[in-house]
Amino acid sequence: MSEIIETEKNPLIRIEHISKVYEMGVEKVYAIRDISINIYKNEYLAIMGPSGSGKSTLMNILGCLDTPTSGLYHFTGLDVSDMDDNELAGIRNKEIGFVFQTFNLLPRASSLKNVELPLVYGGVSSSLRKEKAMATLTDVGLGDRAHHKPNELSGGQRQRVAIARALVTNPSIILADEPTGNLDTKTGEDLMILFNSLWQKGNTIIIVTHEEFIARHAHRIIRLRDGLIESEEVNPNPTYSLMKN
Amino acid sequence: MALTALYANKLRSFLASLGVVIGISFVILMGWALDGLDHAMADAFKALGADMLYVDKWDWAGGRRWDLIRQRKPITIEQGKELVERLQTPELAYMYSNAHRANFKCKDKAFTGISVNGTGWQHSQTPMGSILEGRHFSIFEAQQSARVAVIGYNVNAKIFPEGGAIGTLLKINGIDFTIIGVAKKQGTAFFDFLDNEVHIPFGAFIKIFGRERSVGISVKAGSEENMERVKSEIRGLMRSIRNLKPNQEDDFSINELKAFDEILNEMRKYIWGAGIGMTILSFIVGIIGIMNIMFVSVTERTKEIGIRKAIGARKSSIWYQFIIESSVLCIAGSIFSLILCSIIVYLAATFLPDYWPKADLLSPYLPYQLLFIASIVSIFVGIIAGLVPAIRAANLDPVDALRYE
Ligand SMILES: Nc1ncnc2c1ncn2[C@@H]1O[C@H](COP(=O)(O)OP(=O)(O)OP(=O)(O)O)[C@@H](O)[C@H]1O
Ligand SMILES: [Mg+2]
Repeated sequence: MSEIIETEKNPLIRIEHISKVYEMGVEKVYAIRDISINIYKNEYLAIMGPSGSGKSTLMNILGCLDTPTSGLYHFTGLDVSDMDDNELAGIRNKEIGFVFQTFNLLPRASSLKNVELPLVYGGVSSSLRKEKAMATLTDVGLGDRAHHKPNELSGGQRQRVAIARALVTNPSIILADEPTGNLDTKTGEDLMILFNSLWQKGNTIIIVTHEEFIARHAHRIIRLRDGLIESEEVNPNPTYSLMKN
Repeated sequence: MALTALYANKLRSFLASLGVVIGISFVILMGWALDGLDHAMADAFKALGADMLYVDKWDWAGGRRWDLIRQRKPITIEQGKELVERLQTPELAYMYSNAHRANFKCKDKAFTGISVNGTGWQHSQTPMGSILEGRHFSIFEAQQSARVAVIGYNVNAKIFPEGGAIGTLLKINGIDFTIIGVAKKQGTAFFDFLDNEVHIPFGAFIKIFGRERSVGISVKAGSEENMERVKSEIRGLMRSIRNLKPNQEDDFSINELKAFDEILNEMRKYIWGAGIGMTILSFIVGIIGIMNIMFVSVTERTKEIGIRKAIGARKSSIWYQFIIESSVLCIAGSIFSLILCSIIVYLAATFLPDYWPKADLLSPYLPYQLLFIASIVSIFVGIIAGLVPAIRAANLDPVDALRYE
């Protein structure tokens, strides 16, 4: 897989020397100090590191939820640092699929409604919305749970709904911040099978995790410490947890 | 989506919109009361004839120049007669005079609160002289100063609750009159004194109450268009009859029913004055209540706002969501007020007149324009109250909002 990284010319994401500083009174907290990464199309990247090392901060910046204090961020060649709130909302809506550790589904809405929501903000018509949301739910194996509310689903099922919501707009990249953090090992492993199949279909995936065996599914692993990249390794032998068929 | 959140907190939403409910109820009930007044006025115009003019020493609307009016010389019978004879333009003209204190006796019982109206036979040709039972007096009876009487509706109801007025004797200041007719009900609410009168021929009136009283002249213009022409003719004739010099002011008044408009407008002011203060107050309370609940709602749903922003909601989408929510809250409040007021109004119009007869001018239904006003006002209040909370929600930082527990 290392050939892909070297031969691809234009990265999907290019960040250079970005930092994020929080001012706590007189004290300055450096959540990330100086990070530069290129991420290419159809990459499968894992970000690891101890708690507080800046993983979530980095993901939020990559996902256009947050803006860096300094540094450069190009997304598909566009300078994100120049964009206003509405343009960022548009990028988040169309180009980025977020998956969170705590699922972050709307508790009062059904699976289908949750998956439809990005399309609502994307201005898609009601009938097309339903159709796409239903198809995506079926893709993640939850076609029969469309009208269930989150509290009627298991943790693994909730995370699948969240993944369907991330996928439904057909984004350029999927960002998952500890997606298996609230799941047991078996359910987490099942979820990784889903991620692997998404990658095989051509999706670009970045996943934050604490667990080595989860990270082993990715093809490149970046380790952070104190807001800096501590190491970057290519995983020559990713785990293919595909179901035997 | 906005609606589900409201529905989940029914009781809280209801309490929050209570101020708005009260405010809108005030507006509606005020509008309803004013509408009742307008109807009363329109009814009175119809009953009394909008084309009637009353030439009199007294001015119906003139509270202001009371001292001057008191000093006017009475209009004598001769002056009245001359005016009646010389008038060309009106349909009818005849003299009248009133006595408010007279002794009444009927069936060996004495009554007060009844006034005597000495009038011409032409009275029967005006709406006020329309007869419910029996007949009015004839030209002949009028010329003969016959001792016959037409009693007002309330007089009949009081003295003859079981009927049988016609043919009965009535003593006015000790003199016997035969009741020949009962007049139809004239006044609604503010004109009910008209139903407390007894009408007798003008000549008979003079014999009892003397010739010194100031008389008045009733003039029926014939149509409302004719009013101004008739008025100027009356004015010219009266000034010459009363020998007024060109620089002297009129020493008589030409009264018309429009004078009551002024009295009515006065009442209108009182209703608004009392109502508007309370209304503004309750709307302020209402806006604060809704605003407060919206702030609570924004705080409670910080996480939800974060999620929506993370998946691409623009500021304006979030803003709309909360503005719609607070407007719906207010519209629900106004619908509730409308239902509440409809019930109040129906009950008031049905049962209040039993205790307070003047309330019979009230309609049991709300005027439909009020529904329109109430919805506009409630949407307006909803937007005002939701504005600041909605802006706060729209400006939340997505990362902070997502981290909120
Ligand atoms: N809003 C904030 N204000 C102040 N400091 C912050 C804020 N957000 C993050 N930080 C700090 O930035 C640093 C990085 O936080 P971040 O959440 O990125 O860590 P993480 O690697 O995701 O940790 P974990 O594995 O526990 O999720 C931490 O020291 C944290 O305290
Ligand atoms: Mg984190």
